[in-house]
Amino acid sequence: MPDTPVALPAELRTNLDRAVAQVNSVVLGKASQVNLAFVSLLAGGHLLIEDLPGVGKTTLAHALAATLDLSFQRIQFTSDLLPSDIIGVSIFERDHNRFEFHPGPLFAQLVLADEINRATPKTQSALLEAMAEQQVTVDGRSHALPAPFFVVATQNPLDLAGTYPLPDSQLDRFLLRISLDYPSREAERELLTSANRQQIIAKLAPCMSAAEIQTLREHVGAVVTSPALIDYVQGLISITRAHAEIRIGLSPRAGLALLMAARSHALVAGRGYCLPEDVQAVFVPVAAHRLTLSGAGTRDRLQLARALLNEVPVR
Amino acid sequence: MRLDRRQFDLLTLTIVLVLSTHVGHLPLWANLAAGLLVGGRWLQRSYRPGLGAMPVWLRLPLTLGLPVAVIAQFGTVLGLEPGSVLAIGMLVLKLGESEKVRDARAALTFAGFILMAALLFDQGLLGALHVAVAVGLVFLCLRELEIPPGERRGPLFGRELLGGARAIALSVAAAVPLTLLVFLFLPRLAQPLWGAPDNLDARTGVSEVMTPGQFQSLMIDDSPAFRVQFATGQPPPPQQRYWRGLVLNRFDGLNWTRTDSSSHRPVESNLQLLSAPLDYEVTMEPTQQRWLFPLDVPTAAPERFLRNVDLTLTGFRPIGAVQRFSMSSALEFRLAGLNPTQRQNALALPYGYNPRAQALGAQWREQYGDNAERIAAAAMKLFRDEFSYTLTPPPLGRNGMDDFIFETKAGYCEYFASAFAVLLRSAGVPTRVVVGYQGGFWNPTGEYLLVRQSDAHAWNEVWLGERGWVRMDPTAAVRPERVSLGSRAASGAETSWYRSEWLMTLRDRWDLVNQLWNEVVVQFDTLRQQGLLRQFGVAQADWNQLALAFAIGTSLLLAFALWWALRAGRDRQDLIDRAYAALCRRLQRAGVERAAHEGPAAYLQRLRAALPQSAAELEPLFADYIRLRYARRDADAAESRRFAQAARRFRPRRNSG
Repeated sequence: MPDTPVALPAELRTNLDRAVAQVNSVVLGKASQVNLAFVSLLAGGHLLIEDLPGVGKTTLAHALAATLDLSFQRIQFTSDLLPSDIIGVSIFERDHNRFEFHPGPLFAQLVLADEINRATPKTQSALLEAMAEQQVTVDGRSHALPAPFFVVATQNPLDLAGTYPLPDSQLDRFLLRISLDYPSREAERELLTSANRQQIIAKLAPCMSAAEIQTLREHVGAVVTSPALIDYVQGLISITRAHAEIRIGLSPRAGLALLMAARSHALVAGRGYCLPEDVQAVFVPVAAHRLTLSGAGTRDRLQLARALLNEVPVR
Repeated sequence: MRLDRRQFDLLTLTIVLVLSTHVGHLPLWANLAAGLLVGGRWLQRSYRPGLGAMPVWLRLPLTLGLPVAVIAQFGTVLGLEPGSVLAIGMLVLKLGESEKVRDARAALTFAGFILMAALLFDQGLLGALHVAVAVGLVFLCLRELEIPPGERRGPLFGRELLGGARAIALSVAAAVPLTLLVFLFLPRLAQPLWGAPDNLDARTGVSEVMTPGQFQSLMIDDSPAFRVQFATGQPPPPQQRYWRGLVLNRFDGLNWTRTDSSSHRPVESNLQLLSAPLDYEVTMEPTQQRWLFPLDVPTAAPERFLRNVDLTLTGFRPIGAVQRFSMSSALEFRLAGLNPTQRQNALALPYGYNPRAQALGAQWREQYGDNAERIAAAAMKLFRDEFSYTLTPPPLGRNGMDDFIFETKAGYCEYFASAFAVLLRSAGVPTRVVVGYQGGFWNPTGEYLLVRQSDAHAWNEVWLGERGWVRMDPTAAVRPERVSLGSRAASGAETSWYRSEWLMTLRDRWDLVNQLWNEVVVQFDTLRQQGLLRQFGVAQADWNQLALAFAIGTSLLLAFALWWALRAGRDRQDLIDRAYAALCRRLQRAGVERAAHEGPAAYLQRLRAALPQSAAELEPLFADYIRLRYARRDADAAESRRFAQAARRFRPRRNSG
């Protein structure tokens, strides 16, 4: 690999590589999705996994939690879940004669929000607000969420009865939206023949600390994006705004998210600078769920986002 | 869009410069009116911009009055001069109503037309430079109009204008090749389509009528009349530099004029050449007259000119532009042939004029009898002993020659020639007056002889029986320096400051520059064009061939310009991008085409698989490219060059297997 403008400390580098490898050893044949999960983590964004039940969404989240030395909470979203159930509640303490805040399950560094679309919009909003602001406010008092704060939410797109799918505007809160899909034949064979995933995860040893993640996030900010790369990113953004099949193109915030994700991808790939390939690798997960289609075409958002990549030349 | 202050100032300045190219040949009222309107408009726009454009009640009468004034001055609106005045008036009025960028653009486009008209009046070097400067300013002004009004706030003559000037200079430089092509190959008409200006009142030169005192303004006019280059490279001695213009035979007591019979063809046997003919080329400034000034005497007439019986050369058309003639003359000759009519003409004197001169002539006749030579010698002696040379002679009365010969006794060539002829005719000796030029200044740098208007001269030819017509110059008797050293020396003490030595040297240099300009640019006519083509192997270029060559040349040039423009548009990139694009094209020919959306790392990945034999060379190249293009915020120039060189050197290897 070519030299990096700001080299990552060797220990950090090996830890990151080991962490990625460890998650890959649990979630078989999903190297790119695992990669994107780390991209999201290091870019300081949240991850939405949208797929059918049973393809390993929860396994991925668990593997991440076990690999990263982070406090972990899992919230199973249901239709009767209330905001206070996830945020926490103030209870009157008779001993001290005052209200005391009891933090809810959201107060963890890694939160798995399972089947987020089953909760009511009110509860969803509470979660999304916390994700955006890194803090919650109860009874007029703000409580900071722990850092790093990383939410992995899952959503089942098919099972629509009694669900409240996230509206487009709120999808924007997630940096990346990925889907896992069925494993390949070889991966599935290994899955079937090897030990129970739960047991494997239970044996995993964490290999990255919260402090290390913070350092890596700082390094993501220092990844070089050259003028040529910015040109390319701008080309991608502008084509979404002028495309016949798209009603609402990428917002400036989406552009920033794209660049941030690309930087993070570069860092995970071991480079201190961004390549067009980094942008291409993150473009579909970053952009697809942010596009609003005009209905003029027959392609869905994923197909369209992939097609857009072929329409913008790299100089 | 309304013009902002600085745009209007620049527009006014441009139009003033454009108008200044015409100042010299406009009627005074037109100059004054234009100055007044432009100045007034500028003041109004600067201090009362709220008033807007010139109101209709002012504009309409001015617009209608303009053609009326032109007709009053010239009697017509057609022709070069009335047309120019009309056009200039319209430009001034256009400035009056220019409030918007669109108006200014129209005014400037029209100004280009007026500049073209200026070149019809004056094709000299200074005039051309003047026009060139004005054209440059017009371009600059057009460019400034492209900037939205109010955007620029700095002073008018600031760095921005300088930048604009540089851009204009570049664009003009880019137009030079096409201009040269047009200049060299555009078929030319022998005479300009639009004709020459009708009256050049200022530049009369030697005219058809000689009246003592008429040369007055001519004698101090140092503008060039013609320039001569000799085949031998050396001019004849000063005493033999007589440039024969016209022969004047008829005297009416005041004026000397030609007789009609002088236009008869000469009888060949009458002229006997006593020396070898001298070949030379004369470059005439436009005279608006029909005759030439060959060295005394011409052996033949150039094309489109006739040699008359008195050995003058007259053409069919006035000389309206700088023209070049090849001529040949014999300096030693004998001109015989005097038939009774001619003798009568050469003796005629008006009745009742100059009685004292006639009496003196009659007295000589009695004294010397038939001996013409002795009579002439007596006259010469009279001049030599009693007359003086001055450029400011006292005025003469009705019997002008009597007054001159017996009273004032001071004058210059016209006076002497006229008086000499009157005296000799009174004594019964056939005599005539020749006007033309005498002398000329040898410019050693340019190796040509410059004859100025101030070299205008008049002398006599006297019939000496067997010797035929003999040239006699009474001026030379009075003031030998006039002939041996030229008109400058003759005026002697009357030398003004502007004729001082160093200034004259400077003027000689300047004249050389003008001569080159004439030679290279102004006189590039059909003949020279064909001469040029002959050097390229085109023996007899006709109109059609020239037009065809011109069309082909222009098309090629335009095609090239189009190709260049398209190419420049396609990859308007820096060095790195060009080199990378070239590298990709080469790899494409090797069978691995880069998709437009393919990044360098992905491409390299494919190349490794597709061209394994070249991979070792490609790896560092791509690493360099990626580093320069993506790992830096701006690339290092030296490194970029190194990469570009390396990329150009790269050749995909053939698969050895």
